[in-house]
Amino acid sequence: MWAYVFRKLIYNVPVYLTIVLLVMAALRVHDPVYSYLGKNAKPEDIVKYRELVGLDQPFLVQYTRFLTTFDLGTESWDQRGRTVGEILRTSVGPSLAITVPALLLTTLISICVGIISSYYRGRLVDRTLVVMAVLGMSVSFLVYIILGQYFGAYVLNRSLGRELFAIEGYEPGLANWTHYCLLPVLISVIVGMGYDTRYYRAVMVEESQRDYIVTALAKGASKRKVMFVHMLKNAMIPIVTRVAISLPFLIMGSILLESFFGIPGMGRTLIAAVRVKDFPVVQAFTAIFALVYIFTIILTDVLYALFDPRVRLS
Amino acid sequence: MTDSEPILKIEHLTTRFHTDRGVVQAVDDVSLELFAGETLGIVGESGCGKTVTSKSVMRLLPTHLSSFGAESRIEYRGMNLLGLSENQMRDIRGNQIAMIFQEPMTALNPVFTVGWQLDEALKYHTSLNRRERFDRSLEMLRMVDMPNPTRRLKEYPHQLSGGMRQRVMIAIALCCEPDILIADEPTTALDVTIQAQILRLMNDLKKRIGTAIVLITHDLGVVAQICDRVAVMYAGRVVEMATVHDLFHRPQHPYTRALLDSIPINDATHHGQRLPAIEGIVPSLFELPQGCRFHDRCKFCEDECRQTEPDLETTGSQQSVRCHFPLSELRS
Amino acid sequence: MIKRIWKLRSTRKFFSNRLAVMALLIVAGYLAIALGTSVFGLVDLDATFARVGPKNVSGFFRVQEPEKQVEDVEYIFNRVDSALRRRDPKQALAEIQFGPQRLIDASPEEIKAIVERGWSYFDQLAESDDLNQDRAALPVIEQLKQTEQSLFAPLTSGQRWEQRINLVLGTDAQGRSIALRAIYSIEVAIKIGLVVAFFSVLIGSLLGTAAGFYGGWVDHAVTWAFTTFSSIPSLVLLVLLAYMFTGSTFEGTLFPMYIAFSATYWIGPCRVIRGETLKLRELEYVQAATALGYSRPYIVVRHILPNASHLMLINFSLLFIAAIKGEVILTYLGLGIKNGTSWGIMIEQSRPEVINGFFWQIGTATVLMFGLVLAFNILSDALQDAFDPKHV
Repeated sequence: MWAYVFRKLIYNVPVYLTIVLLVMAALRVHDPVYSYLGKNAKPEDIVKYRELVGLDQPFLVQYTRFLTTFDLGTESWDQRGRTVGEILRTSVGPSLAITVPALLLTTLISICVGIISSYYRGRLVDRTLVVMAVLGMSVSFLVYIILGQYFGAYVLNRSLGRELFAIEGYEPGLANWTHYCLLPVLISVIVGMGYDTRYYRAVMVEESQRDYIVTALAKGASKRKVMFVHMLKNAMIPIVTRVAISLPFLIMGSILLESFFGIPGMGRTLIAAVRVKDFPVVQAFTAIFALVYIFTIILTDVLYALFDPRVRLS
Repeated sequence: MTDSEPILKIEHLTTRFHTDRGVVQAVDDVSLELFAGETLGIVGESGCGKTVTSKSVMRLLPTHLSSFGAESRIEYRGMNLLGLSENQMRDIRGNQIAMIFQEPMTALNPVFTVGWQLDEALKYHTSLNRRERFDRSLEMLRMVDMPNPTRRLKEYPHQLSGGMRQRVMIAIALCCEPDILIADEPTTALDVTIQAQILRLMNDLKKRIGTAIVLITHDLGVVAQICDRVAVMYAGRVVEMATVHDLFHRPQHPYTRALLDSIPINDATHHGQRLPAIEGIVPSLFELPQGCRFHDRCKFCEDECRQTEPDLETTGSQQSVRCHFPLSELRS
Repeated sequence: MIKRIWKLRSTRKFFSNRLAVMALLIVAGYLAIALGTSVFGLVDLDATFARVGPKNVSGFFRVQEPEKQVEDVEYIFNRVDSALRRRDPKQALAEIQFGPQRLIDASPEEIKAIVERGWSYFDQLAESDDLNQDRAALPVIEQLKQTEQSLFAPLTSGQRWEQRINLVLGTDAQGRSIALRAIYSIEVAIKIGLVVAFFSVLIGSLLGTAAGFYGGWVDHAVTWAFTTFSSIPSLVLLVLLAYMFTGSTFEGTLFPMYIAFSATYWIGPCRVIRGETLKLRELEYVQAATALGYSRPYIVVRHILPNASHLMLINFSLLFIAAIKGEVILTYLGLGIKNGTSWGIMIEQSRPEVINGFFWQIGTATVLMFGLVLAFNILSDALQDAFDPKHV
């Protein structure tokens, strides 16, 4: 088992190296300093900024340095006085406050709906759920956010007379979570459910047609045991795959949600940095996003092995 | 060998499926009896209704797509199985009536160990504690001649060969000492040599535990090896019932006769001759022919066969046949 | 070849699905509109920027609240007023147009008189606390509106229809016709969808078949490529590419999006086609073809590709949807189209309007987009159904 994990880690190292390389190269296509300072920059400024991020040094030096430190110590070009590392630290919390609950809720609800849908396959319950899912998937995420913000916060607050859900803003702390984060999380769940439900339903239906189901029933297992023990464990691999695939969607979703709801998370920080061409922040954040993603891929593979003995023993 | 009262009595079983193309009767007025300790074979081609019959006994058919005839009754220990609730059926399944299936490759759950799957059956139906269940599982594996049983308990199905998997299935089926074991083509997916082993095993276990076996198969060779009595089914109906000896030596239904004839024989006289297959194909259950269901393929078909369907009539002490002109010794 | 496709069982199955056929017709409708705008100039880009009326007029010619009506008239009068103050009033007045509507052909003085009359009504109305509730204000508002009408030259019946169409779905915050913008956006969406889906499937299929069929280092290279690419979350990749393109001539046009989407979306088809190729390669007829001495490219094109074509088709429709939805999001983030019209731009700009309860722009864009995306969703579902009997 550990050999398997080790192999996965080793295999992904070159992938990571390549990505960092690509990210760094992509960001240097247009000289970052010029992009930030504009065409009429003063020569002294150019030199100063170059030195700040080590752009004056040979690429290989920059590459190795970045690989190890992500330039976390450099000062952001846009937010004076704050290092990239500090910005990173403060923005991780808000992002997680949205993405983690959203992922958990979406997955749990979708799996249950998928199981129910597959159990009543072809009947009214199932067909209604599928139709709802398809309709839901045909509307842009953005629209959900805008309308959600309008009805869920603005209108609701007005009719209740008090601010139940904040339209914008964020404050850390568990007590504040419902006020600032619940609405974005709900929107994220509603959007994600359409896709996930259809997928889990398909997975469950496929499992429900397998022979071992009949064997289990013939042994005297109840339908519920069959669904939630036998089928579910076999379905773990597709489920885990799905969760892994959902993760980037969450990152993207969090970018949008954060922008709209004014939550100072990683996504919003990145977009803002791109807009103002804050090179150190963009470079570091992009690379870190990629790194996190690779980790989730490795985690997925490890979970596969955990759930399916066939993979583990091969 | 046979007690006076059968332990399982299928009376006028009609099983219907409600499909997109209409209602189809997969099993049409089938009556069978199973006595304690005997092996009853059910023979027929694919689609003749043998599996549906067995699944009807176990009530494993999808409830919203299937229904039974008003007069259908399956009597077991004084109860009508068709009238029991799902909870009551679950008590019986795996406990008093067990079933094993054709494909050992896929019939076992791939993500649970053999031990777990045995344990599950014991957990449902017995009140043994963990240690006792473990011991019993081990004992069952030994009973099915599984080499190295302690290790097997911890292994996963894909680590076992086909024959071993089928042994596991048998162990699971018999671990609660059921009265009846329904075996749906248990050896079809196995090599011929393994086939013989498994059949021998089933015979041994039958004697040891006293389970009656319903063996469903299309292979007459298997029937010859371990069955006591045989029912031949065609297009959802029983067409002949006899002891194994009578079936092979005095078949009365032309279909049975044709099945026997179609067994290829590899000796000097038959060398170079065509294999005697049965002409025609099994009718679709949506378009059953008028009259006897076999008439369009029957060598001895007469006018009456084309018009009216024959009833199942007793022609001997344990023989009955559904034919207007059953074969006698002279004609076979 | 058309005949052969026609006879396929999957074709029959697809067309027997009434929902799928309807979806196909809907898509055809959208394509026709897109063709109309792009080739025949049904709606040209300038029209989508032209002012056709006051801001945020409601659609379906719904009667506005009195306060809004007054606001709208006020806007018109202000516009005329500022024209009058120009150095060349006659010229400025002639330039005023709202859609086909122009001012009457009169001297600046006459116009000024009308405007003065209008302002007097405004003064009267200014006394009212709440125009929406004040019954006494209504006749004054009527007269005000009539005064406004007198400013405009009468329209021909054709022009009246033109203006009706302009206003049928209301106007946005800059008085532009929502209907025209939404229709033009269809062209943009279809362009993006088609181009992105086409190139993604093309690249993905080529690489996928090459990897699956030739194996060896080709396979390793392709696998490494899509593992690497898929390790960057697509949005981050898009952000990167957008960043890369800033300052270049392409910024803000469709081109960076084409590149960005294709670079992220080729992975899906590639994986799928590669898997299918691996499977097909082992089939007997391929081995037979090899044994017969057919060259490898020939086998790929003639035997493997046609049998993987259903997957390409399905992926095409899925990616089409992804591209359209992606455009909306990218544009919102400021990384997509900047100068032009698209559903993304409409939705983005509708945000401040929604706060004020004005849903016409976001509603129109969403409904039209919904129609196209839903139709494609149904299509891809039906395609999967038609090709794979086990599809659920």
